[in-house]
Amino acid sequence: MSNATDKKYWKTLGEFSDDNALIKQKQNEFEEGVTDDFEPNQLNKISRRKFFAAMTAATALTATACSDYRDKGEIVPYNKRPEGLLPGVPNFYASNVNGVSVLVKTREGRPINIEGNPEHPIYKGKVDATTISSILNLYGPERLKEPIKKGRQTTWEIADNEIIQKLDEVSKTGKEIAVFSQRLNSPAAMGILNKFKAKYPTSNFYFYESIGCSSKVNSASKNYNVNALPLIDWSKVKIALAVESDFLSREENSIYNTEGFSSRRDIMKSNDFIRLYSVEGAMSLTGANADYRITLKPDLHLEFLLALLNEISLKRNFSKVSISNENKSLISKYSLNDFIKQNKLDSVKVFYLVKDLISNAGSSIVLAGDSLDENTNSAVNLLNEILGNSAVYSSASRVFAEDLIDENIFDKLILDMKSEKIGAFINFDSDPVYHFSFKKNFPSALKKVGLKISLVSEENDTSELCDFVLPIHHDLENWNLFQKYSNVIDLQQPVIEPIFRTRQKENILLTWINGTKFYSEKVYRDFIKNYFSMNVYPKANSAMNQENFWFSSLHDGFAEIQTDNKNPAFTQVKIEVPKHQSGKVVCQLEKSYFIGDGKYANNGWLQEIPHPISKVTWDNYASVSPSFAKQYSVEMGDLILVKSSGGEAELPVVIQPGISENTIVTEIGYGRKVIGEVGNNVGSNVFSLMDSDDNFVFEVEVKKTGKTYDLASTQEHHAIDDTRLKDIHKKRNIIREGTLDKYKKDHHFLHENEHNLIGITREHKYEGVKWAMAIDLNKCTSCGTCVSACNVENNIPVVGKDQVSRGREMHWIRIDRYYSGDAENPEISNQPMLCQHCDNAPCENVCPVNATNHSPDGLNQMAYNRCVGTRYCANNCPYKVRRFNFYNFRDNFSDAYYENELTSMLNNPEVTVRSRGVMEKCTFCVQRIMDGRSEAIKEGKEWNGQNMKTACQSACPAEAIVFGNVNDKNSEIYKYREHDLAYHVLEDLYVKPNVTYLAKLRNTITEES
Amino acid sequence: MKKSSIDYALKIKIPLIIFIVALSFVITFYASRTERDGVGYQPEQPILFSHKLHAGQMKIDCQYCHTGVSKERHSLVPSANICMNCHTQARKDRPEIIKLTQYYEENKPIPWKRIHKVPDYAYFNHSVHVNRGVDCESCHGNVRQMDVVKQVKPFTMTACLDCHRNPEVKLSYLQKVNKGPENCFACHR
Repeated sequence: MSNATDKKYWKTLGEFSDDNALIKQKQNEFEEGVTDDFEPNQLNKISRRKFFAAMTAATALTATACSDYRDKGEIVPYNKRPEGLLPGVPNFYASNVNGVSVLVKTREGRPINIEGNPEHPIYKGKVDATTISSILNLYGPERLKEPIKKGRQTTWEIADNEIIQKLDEVSKTGKEIAVFSQRLNSPAAMGILNKFKAKYPTSNFYFYESIGCSSKVNSASKNYNVNALPLIDWSKVKIALAVESDFLSREENSIYNTEGFSSRRDIMKSNDFIRLYSVEGAMSLTGANADYRITLKPDLHLEFLLALLNEISLKRNFSKVSISNENKSLISKYSLNDFIKQNKLDSVKVFYLVKDLISNAGSSIVLAGDSLDENTNSAVNLLNEILGNSAVYSSASRVFAEDLIDENIFDKLILDMKSEKIGAFINFDSDPVYHFSFKKNFPSALKKVGLKISLVSEENDTSELCDFVLPIHHDLENWNLFQKYSNVIDLQQPVIEPIFRTRQKENILLTWINGTKFYSEKVYRDFIKNYFSMNVYPKANSAMNQENFWFSSLHDGFAEIQTDNKNPAFTQVKIEVPKHQSGKVVCQLEKSYFIGDGKYANNGWLQEIPHPISKVTWDNYASVSPSFAKQYSVEMGDLILVKSSGGEAELPVVIQPGISENTIVTEIGYGRKVIGEVGNNVGSNVFSLMDSDDNFVFEVEVKKTGKTYDLASTQEHHAIDDTRLKDIHKKRNIIREGTLDKYKKDHHFLHENEHNLIGITREHKYEGVKWAMAIDLNKCTSCGTCVSACNVENNIPVVGKDQVSRGREMHWIRIDRYYSGDAENPEISNQPMLCQHCDNAPCENVCPVNATNHSPDGLNQMAYNRCVGTRYCANNCPYKVRRFNFYNFRDNFSDAYYENELTSMLNNPEVTVRSRGVMEKCTFCVQRIMDGRSEAIKEGKEWNGQNMKTACQSACPAEAIVFGNVNDKNSEIYKYREHDLAYHVLEDLYVKPNVTYLAKLRNTITEES
Repeated sequence: MKKSSIDYALKIKIPLIIFIVALSFVITFYASRTERDGVGYQPEQPILFSHKLHAGQMKIDCQYCHTGVSKERHSLVPSANICMNCHTQARKDRPEIIKLTQYYEENKPIPWKRIHKVPDYAYFNHSVHVNRGVDCESCHGNVRQMDVVKQVKPFTMTACLDCHRNPEVKLSYLQKVNKGPENCFACHR
């Protein structure tokens, strides 16, 4: 056996046999004959140096002698300019996006922004973050562009004909056609579905909501015999109690509620504030805005309400309706005192609540969370009736037309699919495979259906399993008619021609009903116009004729209709207390604040708006209380395995002060597998945790996995009891607060211990217009709509999770969240923070190239072309509001995701698209200021800053932002700046910021001693 | 002085200095030619439209065609339907009008060559200038005398600021004139 080292290596057989010639050749440097042809005399006479010299001279000569002009391109005007369209001037059209009545701003026929519809009776010109940013989906590069049949592109004609033929077959054999849809809120679309059913009688509709208010509506229909939820007339409300209710943000009517709630905390109008109590297990935005927040595990809410009922109706004998005997005997079992003791609640807060509810009976309201079960909702209804709170309901209500499916129907459908009783499946712009992830056998059952059709705008989990995938319009390309509220019909009109070969989803069904010959974009418009004249016009009591009323309603975006203002009678139903094993961990699933139930998961703008409380972006996670974290010895970012009877999910931990014990709160809408490059695999899918269609999963198991995960958060998560950092925001006068009682006693309490500040520089005088902003922290709910509006208006790029975690997010306005007090149930203060446009701006002094300096109207201006990217300014900014373009963020995503021809159409042409290497920040929407100025000059008026609104201001549903000219003594901004509660952040730096904050007043009760 | 040092000065120093001076002069001269700012640019247009005829001889007001000029940022090059207001009747047999009619009827936009251009990052607004009484001629020259339009003034930041700083000199025909804004945000955002 030879040793490994003895091995002989060889390259050729010649070498192996030790060929002599080969050995000789190996000793030479070059192979024989390599240099044979080399003859220096034959080389070119011009040396390399001479050649370069000549070339340089020639280039120089061409450059200097060149007298030709650079081509400046072309100006291509319209051939026939459409009437009413002036290139360069935006047009606004009323339409409906994401179910909200809006005005769409278009430039040269392309939508670039979405603003509220100021004349709408419910929305009053307000929008929410999701609606504004959803404009990105219109220009999404991953929108479906053509009909697809079994993974291959096809034409509408082929698809339609084949589908019609197959549907006919299915209906002849008597098999069912299952149509899946989410809530439509559209009587017209419902009309189409009914037509469809008339043609194909075997069809069945399955309406569902991933997480919605179905149990609330169910209890309303039992208690009041209406499928509607009344709106609240907030001007009448003095005390509100939110039980696991996020009525200011994620729930139905949140825009309306935010406007109403904030108007009751307007110190400029009245110092009679609404007082909000919140009882919840999660830490919601509404809870963060509450004056008193009580932490309570979600499975105890019903017992808490029953104990409240007991205290109010039985013990204190206050009741405006008589309670049925069965309920009375149930209620009598729950004593409030015992409940407080058992669950270690703060009895002071609870008894304040009881006292407030009784003394304000008839002008208080108890709001149940949309997600709570029917029994809890019935208990809330009963409590409101006992207190006579139906007096605060407004005459309008949110109406629901669809009957939703429940779990039993769904299970039966799966069985039917398996036994091949279902002949066709039509996914009508929904995604049941993803939303019912906890029904593990649904996809396999679906595969047994012969004909599967999806009508979607982007591929999703359901469409992936379908034979036909038909691309549908975005809201901005659609015609439709909606009814969400009893007193108003909303109209939707297209503001752009369909960009791709997509079709309106209702129109696709109409084509199948009428035959392919009858398709045109106008068919559905004619249908809703007809519906409008038949059903809406008679109810509107208009003096106009039918045709004019249609056009005027289309122009307004809505039509108000008459309703009979009957207050529905209250019927009591028996309340039952479901049995849960106490002491087990509860997992609460919530809608995501911005991406909803996952529909907008592929929208980078929405993924990147930080969560209002945790400030985490691009992820869902398990929020747990500090004591929970201690118990399971987990830290921020540790992965835990959450196991329920339905399934399991791995989630990173976020230690969230304010969450009840033994509770995990997490958001749905993440963990998508099929939605697009942006949304795929962001977070994890927690639908799989559900054990029923209820979004509270009781009795889950938690295991530490030992792995960690990086979360991208825009705000540091300091331990709240860190002595060095505790209440730093109050010590440094970043947040200044007081109580309403203190303010009533002494209007000037905020500025008592202040001394005059003196600057060392010459004071600059501002003549003419001087811009400033004021933010009323009493009204701000931190909903994030301003961030969304600013993103769209100012062409803010999406940077992605990786860059956010490096602190490179580009938002010009952010909302800072501060905790104070107790680590288990802290007080929360919010503060929108943007460039303060300081008079003595520290950023300006340090710029070596004078790229940032001050304008005569008080703006801290930023000239991108001058900026060389030293970042000194950002370093010297005490408010940390300057943003640096570390990349050209538009092509930071693979294949320049946001920098293609389609997505670039989204950009606001009045704002520069910044490139890599420059600093940027809030400009106070200078493009709008310049527009206003040019309008004033056009009309020959003195430019006084009139009617000027920034993007964040016009979007803010709480009307917390005021902007204007402070040199105008009659302006609103002047009053805000001179108000007793006005303060500046970090005032003692004497940078003289121009954003004034009104200190938050907490409407708490001061005990007279 | 030693002979060698004079020699050195004559042979090397002086020619070098002269060369550097001449070179800088040449470079500065070429770099600062107004042509480099586009002055004199007179491209051929797809249709031989004469401003001299329309605006000069027939005295059609500038705003009849450039409709945006007092209303908004852009002055707007007229869309073909404005030309056709007259040319459905007038001079229908001329070759250039036949070309125009063809564009119009085929619904093709006319690709006019752009002559005046400020960079993308400068947001010039026509209406604020025109509504304050600034004459078109102040920037665009006497277009009424041009058969083919050419750029006669530089469109540089210096040119803008020159006028913004000394409007009473540059726009002496205006009775009352304010100084124009000189801050960055006036043009850049």
